Amino acid sequence: MSAPGSDATLPDRDWESLARAAAAPANREDATLLREFLAFELGGDPYAVPVERVREIVRLRPVTPMPRVPEAVRGVISLRGEVIQVLDLRCRLGMPAADPNRRTRIIVMHGEDNRTAGLLVDAVTEVLRVSEDAIAPTAPGESDSVHALCSRGDEFVSLIDLEKVLDVGDES
Amino acid sequence: MAARRSRPRSRRSKAYREFVSEAEEILERMRSDLSDLADQRAADGDVDPELVNSLFRSAHSLKGLAGMFGLDGLSELAHHLEDILDGMRLGRVAMDSPAAGLVDEATALFASELGRLDDPKTPPEGSEEVAELIGRIDGAVREPAAQDDDLAGLDLDPALLRALTEYEEHRLRENMRRGRFIVLVEATFEILAFDEGLAELSEAVRESGEVLSTLPSPGAAPESQIRFGLLAASDLDADALRARIEFPHADVRPVWSPGATAPADRPGEPVATESAAAVAAPTAHEPTELESLKSISDTVRVDIRKLDELMNLVGELVIQRAAVASIARRLLDDPATTRAGMELDKTHKLLDRKIQELQAGVLEVRMVPLRQVFEKLSRVVRRLRRDLDKEVRLELRGADTELDKLIVEELVDPLMHIVRNAFDHAIEGAEERRAAGKPEEGTIRIEASQRGNHVLIEVADDGRGIDEEAVRVRAVQRGVLAEGETLSRRELLDLVFAPGFSTRDAVTETSGRGVGMDVVKNNLTALGGVVDLDSREGRGTTVTLTLPITLAIIQALVVGASDQRYAIPLNSVLETLLIDTSDIQRSEGREILNLRGEPLLLRRLDREFGLAESGQRKPHVVVIGLGDMRLGLVVDRLEGQQDTVIKPVQGPVQDVRGIAGATEMGDLGAVLVLDMAALVEDAYRRREAA
Repeated sequence: MSAPGSDATLPDRDWESLARAAAAPANREDATLLREFLAFELGGDPYAVPVERVREIVRLRPVTPMPRVPEAVRGVISLRGEVIQVLDLRCRLGMPAADPNRRTRIIVMHGEDNRTAGLLVDAVTEVLRVSEDAIAPTAPGESDSVHALCSRGDEFVSLIDLEKVLDVGDES
Repeated sequence: MAARRSRPRSRRSKAYREFVSEAEEILERMRSDLSDLADQRAADGDVDPELVNSLFRSAHSLKGLAGMFGLDGLSELAHHLEDILDGMRLGRVAMDSPAAGLVDEATALFASELGRLDDPKTPPEGSEEVAELIGRIDGAVREPAAQDDDLAGLDLDPALLRALTEYEEHRLRENMRRGRFIVLVEATFEILAFDEGLAELSEAVRESGEVLSTLPSPGAAPESQIRFGLLAASDLDADALRARIEFPHADVRPVWSPGATAPADRPGEPVATESAAAVAAPTAHEPTELESLKSISDTVRVDIRKLDELMNLVGELVIQRAAVASIARRLLDDPATTRAGMELDKTHKLLDRKIQELQAGVLEVRMVPLRQVFEKLSRVVRRLRRDLDKEVRLELRGADTELDKLIVEELVDPLMHIVRNAFDHAIEGAEERRAAGKPEEGTIRIEASQRGNHVLIEVADDGRGIDEEAVRVRAVQRGVLAEGETLSRRELLDLVFAPGFSTRDAVTETSGRGVGMDVVKNNLTALGGVVDLDSREGRGTTVTLTLPITLAIIQALVVGASDQRYAIPLNSVLETLLIDTSDIQRSEGREILNLRGEPLLLRRLDREFGLAESGQRKPHVVVIGLGDMRLGLVVDRLEGQQDTVIKPVQGPVQDVRGIAGATEMGDLGAVLVLDMAALVEDAYRRREAA
């Protein structure tokens, strides 16, 4: 697709293989107790989404703005023949916009019925393996978009409620 | 591609979906065959044997399919269906026997069971109904009655007679019963080319009769040659047939003549010069079983999604080709590389031609004739005729017109709807028609034809037509129209498409049209098509559907508005104009342009999409024509034409008004494709509201 040399349009190979490895069925005995999340940063805070919902991670590429959609929908990107809407997660979570930089990524999520979507995040950090009992639901009313917390060392990572976040309503 | 979730193989799996779609296709064919069979029996009782063969093969395929998916009940049902049909084609089961009557029932049950498979509670062995019907079929299909040895009178080597299959033997008896001459046509062929020669000979014989069997001939043949015999039935006797087939080395000798050992129920002696109709009937091509098997294996079933993938690849090639062209131009412009540039340019032109051929080839594979849809419509009309007891003739023309498979699928419902409407409401009862001086039998004519990149389908009836006054009164009642407001005839007729305008109420009875026409319009619009309606009161109504031939590749005009680019499907563009903003006039709160004396409604694309306005003094106007509506779309720049593959926009927000999809344009990334039908319609609607 892309001219040689413009690596901005190539998928981010490292993360792709990492994500693939993480998603491969683990054959260790304790696998049933572990859940895996892809962690990323937004405004300096850690967030995560279930790894099995992640299709791939790509670098930022030109986004074509789309008219008549809610503000959080940045526009569409073209990805190997598919055209996919990109949701600005900062905007969706009510944070101020930020200029993209080298670490900016689009996390492409699986979706059925033409609902594959990209999430624009500040940076992707790692794949977390968390045991089931280290996940705790957030207190009710705290945030619409985060439905649970898990601990990573001594800090908490917010788990995104994808159903809520992706439900941006129809044309504005 | 990192972490695709695997799904269990289930009744919802892809393979399963393919099974259902294939089974549905087979059932559809069976229904069509069965209805033809019923028609033939009603007409003259003479049934085309190939019809029963076709049904038999269908049942056989169903049996295999169901078995493959472990659906034992359905497989068993298909097996029993196959048994009856086998009996019918071999003459063991009479066409009017109770067993033959079960064929329709078994086919219908198979279809309804298929629909119930989605329910996980359905056991693989099928419902009780299946078991019950299987039991009844078992009871109805008797053991074949022993045939009298009436083949003894044939002047044929008994060894050859024994070589006939049961089916061939049945056809032989059947032809004898009908009083045809049985002959043996023998010829010697060069081994190297015997298949061609044999095919030619069979073809020639078939023109005057039926080839019952192809047998290796007992006559000795010189080395490098091979001798065949065709056992054939014909209304011509051996001498007449020899003269007719004009095959120099063929030897035709009589095997049995109608006068000889006459089977009991034969009527008068047929003579060589029997009526043309009688000769024509049996010549309807009668492929041998070998041939029909071959024709099946010549076709490949392809999932339309695979074709989409191919189409995408072609689309990407098209984009790459543009990149090659621009490199060639750069090389040509530099004196140091002109030579290389010229060579690359030449290569590019060749590549271009091949890509176009490839594109055309892939498109062609997606094309299917409208015939299937027409067959469905005939069945609907047949049923309506029975249910409503109304005499209506259906005329179908242009069944060979081809359209993209996806469009054809989506076309069935709207067409069905239009035809039903015409039947139910437009065509008057016999008495009313007589009083109006029309023939008692009404006519619905459906005609398809290709016009450039579009296909036109006209559905015309000779019914009562639309009562414009009733429509007007109704529109005022519903507040769509102000009292005393005048509308052109066209605008008035367009009201029939207004959403919810014409529910099933009084107006539909008197207007003779309109139930759910808004739904028809929406379906058509989704396909990039347009629907027009014309009607003469008392004379009839014509609904015209205009459809693009394919959804896959379109020519697009790329335009710029503000800092954005959009693609407009070229098939909706009439012309483009360069204007000065001072040419734009205002009238009743909207902008119009005087285009050769006609007012052209304008919309500015930047305002439409809430973009920063460039304030350009000399904008372009793209004149859009959809059906009868015209709209001038004001844009800042025209950026050229491109072949594009329209793709759906994936993501959380679906169905954005005015956006039909997106396309990929090399360095430009994704470019949105405008849904001109929606934009034009909105412009007109706002005009009405204003």
